[in-house]
Amino acid sequence: MNKALIFLLMMTLSILLSSQALAKSFGAGLSLKQSTPLSTILANPDAYVDKKVQIDGIIIDVCERRGCWLYISGDKPFGKIRVKVIDGKIVFPLEARGKQGKVEGVIEKFVLSKQQVIQREKHYADERGEKFDPATVKSGETVYQLRGLGAEIAGL
Amino acid sequence: MNWRKWNYAIHRDLGFLCIGLTLIYALSGIAVNHIADWNPNYVIERVEAQIDPLPSGVINPIIIPQILQQLGELNGHENAFQPDPDNLWIYVEKRMIRVHLPSGSVKHERVKRRPFWYPLNFLHLNHPKKAWTWVADVYAGALFLLAISGMLMISKKTGLKTRGLVLTLAGIALPLLFLMVYY
Repeated sequence: MNKALIFLLMMTLSILLSSQALAKSFGAGLSLKQSTPLSTILANPDAYVDKKVQIDGIIIDVCERRGCWLYISGDKPFGKIRVKVIDGKIVFPLEARGKQGKVEGVIEKFVLSKQQVIQREKHYADERGEKFDPATVKSGETVYQLRGLGAEIAGL
Repeated sequence: MNWRKWNYAIHRDLGFLCIGLTLIYALSGIAVNHIADWNPNYVIERVEAQIDPLPSGVINPIIIPQILQQLGELNGHENAFQPDPDNLWIYVEKRMIRVHLPSGSVKHERVKRRPFWYPLNFLHLNHPKKAWTWVADVYAGALFLLAISGMLMISKKTGLKTRGLVLTLAGIALPLLFLMVYY
């Protein structure tokens, strides 16, 4: 009886420890076998619009309140892309910041007016409890983002 | 046993069964309903600090431990990222340190899960998915049965013909009123 109990505890412990070491899966997980360097996508983003890609990088920021978006870094300095998921369908934990991850989804293109950029930046500043000066926005933007379908993040 | 006794038994036992889940959904419902006013899942402590200014541009990773040393951080960093030539973000064990290189100003964020609210919201917003989706569906069905069985628990004094009717109609009218105004 005691041996069986110890065996069961050992099994449970090993499962728990191995699950900590493995990457945590979100949404549909990953289906593509290869990642595309973000620099390749950003060099010619229109070629990737509506195409499914996988990006490998550092999770550099996550939506604080709903976990409904994150930014993943690219393979070159300053490179990053926003990953937006359907609210509630996937929820990224704030602890994912700084972790290595792979995100899969479809590249989308948005042409934002100056007013839309101001609204977006104000929203981000509000979330972080920071002040925002609309005068810092000089023009509209064309934005490319990933409509996130699945992800794997290590170390969570 | 006639149908009234069955109705009473179903209402009573489902009621007991739903107490725990109702408390979770009710409390978390209030918490997430006011998400614009507070963060129901995390406590985020923000502290500002100052280090020696550094030149803008692509930084050499060697300077990251030096920055952390100035901040009194004893642990090594997990990762680092530069969103632009002026800024550096360093990640240290559930913390994020945003450094503005030319000014040396530092914003330090420490993230902690709210011990009571996080698990409640985790269940309410169905973060576990999988089998919890079924539990939530069964709970929704149980609430439906509670409403119907409650409506059928009529006594002559407080039944649907008098006070029960007024309160039931008020409960139905309230969402209809809001639909008429806002929809």
